[in-house]
Amino acid sequence: MAGHSTVAVAYAGNNPFLRGVAAISTVAGWCSAAMIVIAVAITCQMIFVRFVLNASTVWQTEAVIYLVIAATLVGLPYVQRLRGHVNVDLFPLSLGKRSRYFLACLTLSTSSLIVAVMLYYGFEYWHIAWARGWTSDTVWGVRLWIPYLSIPVGFGLLLLQLVADLFAVLAGLEKPFGLEDS
Amino acid sequence: MDPLFLGLLVAVTTILVLFSGVSVAIGLLIVSAGFLLAFDGSRSLELMPEIFFGKLDNFALLSIPMFIIMGASIASTRAGADLYEALERWLTRIPGGLVVSNLGACALFAAMSGSSPATCAAIGKMGIPEMRKRGYPDGVAAGSIAAGGTLGILIPPSVTMIVYGIATETSIGRLFLAGVIPGLMLMGLFMTWSLYSTWRSGNASVLSAGSYSWKQRFEILPRVLPFLAIILGVLYAMYGGVATPSETAAVGALLCLLIAMIIYKLWSPGALWVVLRDSTKESVMILFIIAAAGVFSYMLSSLFITQAIAEWIGTLDVNRWVLMAAINGFLLIAGFFLPPVAVILMAAPILLPIIIAADFDPVWFAVVLTINMEIGLISPPVGLNLYVINGIAPDISLKTILTGSLPFVGCMVLAIFLLCLFPDLATWLPDTVMGAPR
Amino acid sequence: NATELRLSHQWSNGDVRHKVAQMVADDVAAADVDLDIKIFPSQSLLKAREQYKPLSRGLLDMTVLPLSYAGGQQPAYNLTLMPGLVKNHDHAARLNESPFMDAIEEIMAEDDVIVLVHGYLAGGFAGKEKCITNPDDMPGLQTRAAGKAFEQMLAGAGASIASMSSSEIYNAMQSGVLDAANTSSSSFVSYRIYEQVSCYTPAGEYALWFMYQPLLMNKSTFDGLTEDQQKALLAASEKAQAFYLEEAKKEDAASAEVFRDNDVEIAAMTEADFEAWRALAKETSYKAFVEETPNGQQLLDLALSVN
Ligand code: NA
Ligand code: NA
Repeated sequence: MAGHSTVAVAYAGNNPFLRGVAAISTVAGWCSAAMIVIAVAITCQMIFVRFVLNASTVWQTEAVIYLVIAATLVGLPYVQRLRGHVNVDLFPLSLGKRSRYFLACLTLSTSSLIVAVMLYYGFEYWHIAWARGWTSDTVWGVRLWIPYLSIPVGFGLLLLQLVADLFAVLAGLEKPFGLEDS
Repeated sequence: MDPLFLGLLVAVTTILVLFSGVSVAIGLLIVSAGFLLAFDGSRSLELMPEIFFGKLDNFALLSIPMFIIMGASIASTRAGADLYEALERWLTRIPGGLVVSNLGACALFAAMSGSSPATCAAIGKMGIPEMRKRGYPDGVAAGSIAAGGTLGILIPPSVTMIVYGIATETSIGRLFLAGVIPGLMLMGLFMTWSLYSTWRSGNASVLSAGSYSWKQRFEILPRVLPFLAIILGVLYAMYGGVATPSETAAVGALLCLLIAMIIYKLWSPGALWVVLRDSTKESVMILFIIAAAGVFSYMLSSLFITQAIAEWIGTLDVNRWVLMAAINGFLLIAGFFLPPVAVILMAAPILLPIIIAADFDPVWFAVVLTINMEIGLISPPVGLNLYVINGIAPDISLKTILTGSLPFVGCMVLAIFLLCLFPDLATWLPDTVMGAPR
Repeated sequence: NATELRLSHQWSNGDVRHKVAQMVADDVAAADVDLDIKIFPSQSLLKAREQYKPLSRGLLDMTVLPLSYAGGQQPAYNLTLMPGLVKNHDHAARLNESPFMDAIEEIMAEDDVIVLVHGYLAGGFAGKEKCITNPDDMPGLQTRAAGKAFEQMLAGAGASIASMSSSEIYNAMQSGVLDAANTSSSSFVSYRIYEQVSCYTPAGEYALWFMYQPLLMNKSTFDGLTEDQQKALLAASEKAQAFYLEEAKKEDAASAEVFRDNDVEIAAMTEADFEAWRALAKETSYKAFVEETPNGQQLLDLALSVN
């Protein structure tokens, strides 16, 4: 009953739009995984510098935090494509075919709407940081527009994947909620 | 509007939205945005991305993907099978050696993985077919692994403990230690039940399993020692002054990846990518919920709902154990439907002041909460571990898995009672290792 | 229907900074001008370092904040947590009324922020194995410093810097990750650092670490209040500022008392120590500040000219 399947992936088929979005989301997933790996490496380097060399660690903590945040945001569309965002499909399961279809359209469009809101204000926030030259209040002093860029990028790509999912349901290419008719 | 009534409205709306099949994180964002817009003015939406980003801006969160990689890289090898085989060869004189070994392997694997479904999958892949082949009842084979897998979040490291530690500003090292003894106790209860139910099923002959020569016992050790070394190394790094829990996690992840590559020849880029892909998928899913739940709790606080509920509970003059029972009932119901991380993030900010006011130890409560969440993992309608088992052994019906798991729920309830009677089970180890609580 | 203002801060209800906020809220309520200040303590609304940005955009009305947290938005704010700039609490009070603070307030006005209550809190050093009074004590020690300028100065003294929040000091000291720490007197006590160290150097006759932690308000929000409301707010703030100064003075001695009661050695900085630190700060933190801040030298000179 739970929508936490380990096998399902968003349908792409031969549809060029769906295939294009799937490709973009997959590349985003590679970037996300790469950032997590780099975070592991930097953390190990930091422990070595501090514990073995007994030297200062100035930038590592911050770099790792921003990498994990960026990995999360940029990874959103890929995980959406892999149907990895856990959900509870209690209502869809109890509905008939037609109402299930309408509910799928409703949840996907509401999801797209909220993600669009996050994208809009996220872009605004990024733009303020960029225009005012905000930095972090540490010795390293990262220009904050760099990590903040992951907000509009991540939500923008997630929006794209959600719109593709909505399109696939509307065009009848994918079953609502990925559920078989019963 | 009265904040308490508003809180009720939020609760009902959240349930309706989350049951609609929308992903949990996005559902939380939808509810938050809706209530902020309605009761806090339109400008409050401007803050949402900022709060979302801010919730993730925390070094301790690094440990979540790290502990997931640790588990995933080991799970991608046949290490799980090696673990229970080694245990079985050494425990051969114990009746029911195989199921006992499988549960022991779950506990050992739990000490390397922060997540429950991963533990379940790692041991179950080989363990369930083997148990069935040797004649154990399907229900016992499936149920014991489903339950054993839940130890993944009780025995350290634990993703849910990390999330609880962050949400309540409790020492993560202390929380980890608190889970050790209850985890072993739960393992013991699971073993006892598995043996009893196998014996009762009339199939008692399977309990006396094969015998092994000393050569066989020793030849498997080299395959297991690296993992024991990792567990000890991680413990040393964390409590011996080398690194904080999140830093330790990174070293553990690196070591586990290296061991998987060197000992289990996990060289091909394709196989490595599967490990990374699965880890990324689970980490991003959890971190998305964490950030979205941050926006959700901002909404609750901003509308004064959190504060009003804490005040209201404070005015109720109830016995603290009645309160604890009510809290556990509430958590149990939430855990039936929602993943542990979401429950902890939504409930912790509201529950913690109540817990402290009623003079319960937040570290002890973390253990009770975790066992409570474990129940949700093996109970319908949303039991992640049940679906993992279903994926491993598709020919065992979901009903058999479910009825096989149900008695283990009883073991967990019993464990919660024992923890209430003897709180030292959770608090003794952290107090001994790290000094009296602050 | 009363106007409601939301005040967010990071401290618990027992902290002096919460008491200052509570005093203002209570006095404004007592003035009966249809103004209601709702306090969100202990980061229950926004995280400590996530408060200034919403404040400057009018999404949060008030906060009590170490201004240097916003040093990434306005580099000039780093001057409000600069080693050796403030000598003692009376000196801090004079700084609050000086042309230096006028210049800082002008910069705040650019971000649509005004100060209601000025205030400095002091802090000191604690060492796990030995006392820290002079730069010569630092080489090779893994140290947590409070603030960018202190990190630069301590690194200049040969310490290794491990950055973490003050709530992490206890565990880091216990596990041996840290050898020394620098933070505020109240944090030393509230995080029970006395259980982990052998020596404490509190802010005394000579003190290095003073942090400016005012009660701030969004300027447009303030301007939008009625004249009566503004008057009540300013009157309450003036009273709270006097209270804040008195309490700040008491905290240093009180923290030393707690450490002494727990059998921790208490060390004191001499004038020579202080001058050695200041000479080092000039080469490290002051220099870095001037390099990265527009008008940095001018602001530094303004601060140094206060007697
Ligand atoms: Na674990
Ligand atoms: Na469940």
